[in-house]
Amino acid sequence: MTAAAAPSRFRRPRRENDGDDSGVSARRWFTPWLLIAPGGLWLLIFFVVPLFSLGRLSLQDGGLSNYSTVISDNSTVIIRTFVYATISTLAAIIIGYPLAYVIATKGGKYKNLFLALVILPFFVTYLVRTLSWKILLFDNGPVVGILQSIGILNDNQGILGSPFAVVAALTYNFLPFMVLPIYVSLEKLDRRLLDAAADLYSSPARAFRKITLRLSLPGLFAGTLLTFIPAAGDFVNSELLGSDRTVMIGQIIEKNFGKEFFRPELSALSFMLMAMILVGVIVYARLLGTEEIA
Amino acid sequence: MTKPIDPELLEAMAQHRTSRRRFLGMGGIALGGLAMGPTLLAACSSDSSSSGGGSSDGITVLNWPLYIEGDEPSTSATLKGFTSSTGIKVDYRNSIDGNESFNTKYQATLEKGQGIGADLIVLTSWNAAAYIGANLVQPFDSAAFPNKKNVISRLANPSWDPGRANSIPWAVGQTGLAYWPDKVGGKITDVNAIFDPKFKGKVTILDEMRDTVGLTMLGMGANPATGTTAQMLAAVDKIEKARDAGQFKKVTGNSYTEDLAIGDTWIAVAWSGDVAQLQADNPGLEWVIPSQGGMLWVDNAMIPVGAKNPEGANKLLNYVYDPAVAGPLYESIQYIPPVTGATQYMTATAQASPFIVPPATPPLYEFDVISPEAAEEVERAFVAATEQ
Repeated sequence: MTAAAAPSRFRRPRRENDGDDSGVSARRWFTPWLLIAPGGLWLLIFFVVPLFSLGRLSLQDGGLSNYSTVISDNSTVIIRTFVYATISTLAAIIIGYPLAYVIATKGGKYKNLFLALVILPFFVTYLVRTLSWKILLFDNGPVVGILQSIGILNDNQGILGSPFAVVAALTYNFLPFMVLPIYVSLEKLDRRLLDAAADLYSSPARAFRKITLRLSLPGLFAGTLLTFIPAAGDFVNSELLGSDRTVMIGQIIEKNFGKEFFRPELSALSFMLMAMILVGVIVYARLLGTEEIA
Repeated sequence: MTKPIDPELLEAMAQHRTSRRRFLGMGGIALGGLAMGPTLLAACSSDSSSSGGGSSDGITVLNWPLYIEGDEPSTSATLKGFTSSTGIKVDYRNSIDGNESFNTKYQATLEKGQGIGADLIVLTSWNAAAYIGANLVQPFDSAAFPNKKNVISRLANPSWDPGRANSIPWAVGQTGLAYWPDKVGGKITDVNAIFDPKFKGKVTILDEMRDTVGLTMLGMGANPATGTTAQMLAAVDKIEKARDAGQFKKVTGNSYTEDLAIGDTWIAVAWSGDVAQLQADNPGLEWVIPSQGGMLWVDNAMIPVGAKNPEGANKLLNYVYDPAVAGPLYESIQYIPPVTGATQYMTATAQASPFIVPPATPPLYEFDVISPEAAEEVERAFVAATEQ
């Protein structure tokens, strides 16, 4: 979690300097700011300014009532979006953690190959990746045929259009974002800690829980953010693989933002989405105790 | 055990069909642009005006995809013929992917009276009416555009632009039903088939309010060209009830063609241009204008304020409105020619195509250009009925 770690690293040298800041050279004070400048400017122009403009737009016409209107109008969609994003994030953890673990610990000289395989689907455009699912999953296609013949699906049941298709595709599309950070945190794990645990008669399961899992929490946290946030804002998977019963917040915004009278409300909806994700992330960080770890 | 994937199907799926509204994602661009606020929007558009359409000897045309031969300006016979006969170069961009995204991108600039680097833009009637009402476009020059008189009579005098002083149809398309006869068990002629519980979960409707609500109104015996707001809302209500009952597989934009092509959708509310293309790969697919009637939509060419070369734009329209030019053009793009006499210059096959020359009955209706307030009310109800 470099993001969480960065401020504390900044703070430390400055605290040392606090005692005699008359002696600090201008350059020492200036350098961090210079390094931040490109990123900071970028964020200012392309994030803060649009965000401000969006906030102003969200208060046009109805004012604050825009917020209550969008919540009551879209309550089903909002709940659905967070349920889908949560399930797909959990699924990505369940699939991604063991995968990252095996690559990091047993990958040996094939590590890079495995990692390349994890990233390989990303060489294909997002849209095409998702569209290709349609070829696999359509009602008269092979997958549905097999599932129907072994009785998992009824003869007139399909996969496309179902919440399962949408959640599965969300999981698939964001899985590498889960695997990579977990891999990084497991990769740098000091194996001698596990040896030490074994020497002290810890069972492997306990060693995993107390050492491996704890030390990989920053990776898990990063992976969760990188999966959950885009999943909650996604509008492609549900549009292509879902139905009118799987509509997510992103779709509502994508489809209707062009309609001028909708803009204030949809800006409010975007803000709500952001606020809800932020609250979710803070709660999650607390639960995981990430601040202590990082 | 399982059926192998039909190679034709794969091809159909792999081929990216861009139709009237360009698929997904593009909305994101509009979104990003808007979020930056008017200042940056203005900056963006002034940038585009400096990058193109600047020279007074050429013209810049912003049009929808597939509205020129082969969707390829560099090989289009119409554009090449125009340039060789007038010496005017055409910078033709098939960049309009939706009325709403176009408005997001350009309307604010036009409202300031500034040019958007285009000499010709093409918008659907309800939106064109708004542009004319707000004086964002300029009238045609009848000296440079004498062929304007060739516009077909039913489109010659809309209430929102009497005598076609400011706008002229570029493309005229139909909204009807596309279906698989083998799946639905025979022919379909009734528009209410989309509400038939027999086809529950196998029907897709368009997320364009005017298309779907218009067809639903026809099924309820109302006339979408003259209907009241109450009738429109009643149609929305009917759609909502059907959706709640699981009647629709999807309420969607362009992506309906994919589900239709693979046969997962049995009946779709569809645009004629898409079906014309789909049928090329899927001969079994049927197109029908229901007995109660179908919807007609018109995309109108207009000269925006601040155009650098309105004269050239008038000349291009004059060229296209020559029946001898329009015939082959509309045969190629498979839309109804808005030019009187154009069909005489088409092949017999094209003259027999229901996409290019629809039969006189069932009738086609253009959705009424209603007031912005009424449009907002119906749009809101439609979004609530189909998405939320």
